[in-house]
Amino acid sequence: MGVGFRSRLAVLCAKCADCLIRRLKIGNGGSFPGYVAGLVDPGILGRLAGMVREKVIVVTGTNGKTTVTHILCHVLEAGGKKVVSNRTGANMPNGILTAFVLAADRDAYLDADYACIEVDEFAAQEILARLKPHCMVVTNVFRDQLDRFGEVDAVVDRLKGAAEQAPDGLLVLNGDDAVSYSLAYGCRNPVFSYGMGEAFLRNEPWVDVSHEGGQNDGGAVRENAVCRLCGEPLAYDYFQYGQLGSWHCPNCGVGRPEPDCLAGDVVFRKGEFSFVIADFKGSGRKSPQGGKKGLRTEKAAGACHVSGVKFAYNVYNVLSAYSALSAMDAAGNFGEAMRNFDFGNHRESVFVIGGGRVQLHLAKNPMGFQQKLFFLQEDPEPKDVIIQINDTDLDGRDVSWLWDVDFQVLGNVNAKQVVVDGTRRYDMGLRLKYDDISCDFLSDFQGTVRQLAEQGTGNLYVIVNYSGLYRTNRILSRLQGGYRHEADHRTFVSESAQLVR
Amino acid sequence: MKLTIGHLYPNLLNLYGDRGNVKCLQRRLQWRGIEGDVVLFSGGSRIDFQKVDMLFLGGGSDREQELAGRYLREMGGGLRDFVESGGVLLAVCGGYQLLGNYYRTPKAVIEGLGLLDIYTEWKPGRLVGDVILDSPAFRSPVVGFENHGGRTYIGAYTPLGRVRRGYGNTDEGEWEGLLYKNVVATYLHGPLLPKNPEVCDYLLERALKRKYGNAAGLQGLPDELEHRANEYMAERYRKGERM
Repeated sequence: MGVGFRSRLAVLCAKCADCLIRRLKIGNGGSFPGYVAGLVDPGILGRLAGMVREKVIVVTGTNGKTTVTHILCHVLEAGGKKVVSNRTGANMPNGILTAFVLAADRDAYLDADYACIEVDEFAAQEILARLKPHCMVVTNVFRDQLDRFGEVDAVVDRLKGAAEQAPDGLLVLNGDDAVSYSLAYGCRNPVFSYGMGEAFLRNEPWVDVSHEGGQNDGGAVRENAVCRLCGEPLAYDYFQYGQLGSWHCPNCGVGRPEPDCLAGDVVFRKGEFSFVIADFKGSGRKSPQGGKKGLRTEKAAGACHVSGVKFAYNVYNVLSAYSALSAMDAAGNFGEAMRNFDFGNHRESVFVIGGGRVQLHLAKNPMGFQQKLFFLQEDPEPKDVIIQINDTDLDGRDVSWLWDVDFQVLGNVNAKQVVVDGTRRYDMGLRLKYDDISCDFLSDFQGTVRQLAEQGTGNLYVIVNYSGLYRTNRILSRLQGGYRHEADHRTFVSESAQLVR
Repeated sequence: MKLTIGHLYPNLLNLYGDRGNVKCLQRRLQWRGIEGDVVLFSGGSRIDFQKVDMLFLGGGSDREQELAGRYLREMGGGLRDFVESGGVLLAVCGGYQLLGNYYRTPKAVIEGLGLLDIYTEWKPGRLVGDVILDSPAFRSPVVGFENHGGRTYIGAYTPLGRVRRGYGNTDEGEWEGLLYKNVVATYLHGPLLPKNPEVCDYLLERALKRKYGNAAGLQGLPDELEHRANEYMAERYRKGERM
């Protein structure tokens, strides 16, 4: 197969652009090379994707895209596969194209067994039209960046349009999510589903289930009270979190599907979940529900034990990654490979600054923020908390969603001091006032971090929304490095002093 | 003294942090030593309009809005009598559209409640962004965020305010929202009331007056943070920063 001159030139230009960006340390290295390549050869993404030897898998949905993509890459690479992926999370067309062109060689040949690509919901249609993936994983659909998407329904419509672009591609859907599972209705794609076999958060003390229809407040915010086929209200046997749970429509009879991959036997110990995934793919079984008696795996085609998973949403992330691989016949070494998977992916980073521990957390929508607050509650030690809320285009310009988070939880996390920062710090402060949490407003980020790390509780949580993440990460790294240098310097001085003596 | 605040169908109409408004009504009563009870009405439950002093109707997607409209229609003229007799109602976004005669979308015509002689037409291009209004009813500008595909034509009704920044009812005019008797209807969603405490107190005052006759003016509250949040948005626009 000959590669056209145009494609070779596109790859060359992209590599030069990448080189230049690195050399000069300028601009956005995550998507500019792709932009250049696309200018030279508009058809290059499809051509490169066509060179992937085995499968092209895309991951989309509101929460968990990056984590699921990282799990897919990790497991496949552990199995000796060569994987091309937009690991940095640059999930718009140029970011994805950048991943492909930089992975190609100078002759515009791509040497890859798999492509695992995280795709923005809004751009999914355009990207799938070119990638024509074998598999499209949808993690969930929650409210997120509504100023960009309009309404949650608009996100579902976009994803529906995306699936239509690759009608042979397998749709891997979260059966517990009535919103994203509605993609299965009337679509031409084959569908593969996953779900939890039990209400796995119910008995955990850190999950407050009293929210459900609480009489004094709006209750937890859930999408989709209504059946997406007939418009009548849905009924739930139980909720996990958000609208995830066991649902059905009493009117038209649709409901949570019998999942192809089912997770159960969930144990929560010392802040970590362990669970079993039963794989019923092609087993023709009926109703393999878990529940109180435990997960019945004897009829399963395979089973896999996973442990050490922090955060409830990562249970779902692991499950959706497993399901995608199972559907692609590539889940062989999953349990083994997951043992050394790092969920950190730079969105939860731990720093040591001035002898104190500083954790950086991303919270960019109500569901994510709520989960972070529950996570804080798990740490019984006294702590200080900085919350930074910005409203750039990256974050979403509407901060109304802060009112969908239950900040009463923050009152029970043993926080000694809460400091608020960001362009919308007053909105955040006002939100906290309504849950009786007093806070200070931050003027100097570095100074406050130093002060809290040195003189505060020595246990600082920094929660930021999207645009603050990379900058804050850099500042915290620098502060950590600065202290390390100071420490090195002190050691050096004291050693020198001994030498002199 | 005590006011009962009815939150209409929070399980259906809960887009964009709408419950912040209900919280605000309740807390600003409590901060003044006045009881504020919140009653959540879910679909199909009967509403005794005699027993509520204020109602909140939030925004939802078209699907949820349609269902909420049906529930309200099933209750006959209760809501109309409530409004006509001076009951206090705050309707936001989808709730605002629902008070009118109809909302025409490309897919369907959603029948409204017809409490107000207004109508809404969907047009391509959503109207999204920060909004700043000047209203003769309030000293501070009213600030908020709008996000709607429908354009609402209010005829001769009094608007809530003149648009200084943003779109408002339509993208052609200069007016946002609507005031009718003790109804405030607006596209400004989410935490409208927390950041605009004057609007909240306007509603509370009217509800107290209706229930207890000539209630003395509401006691002032330390609204420093509220004003900072409000002024920050107005200030940013004055400085010509991106909104």
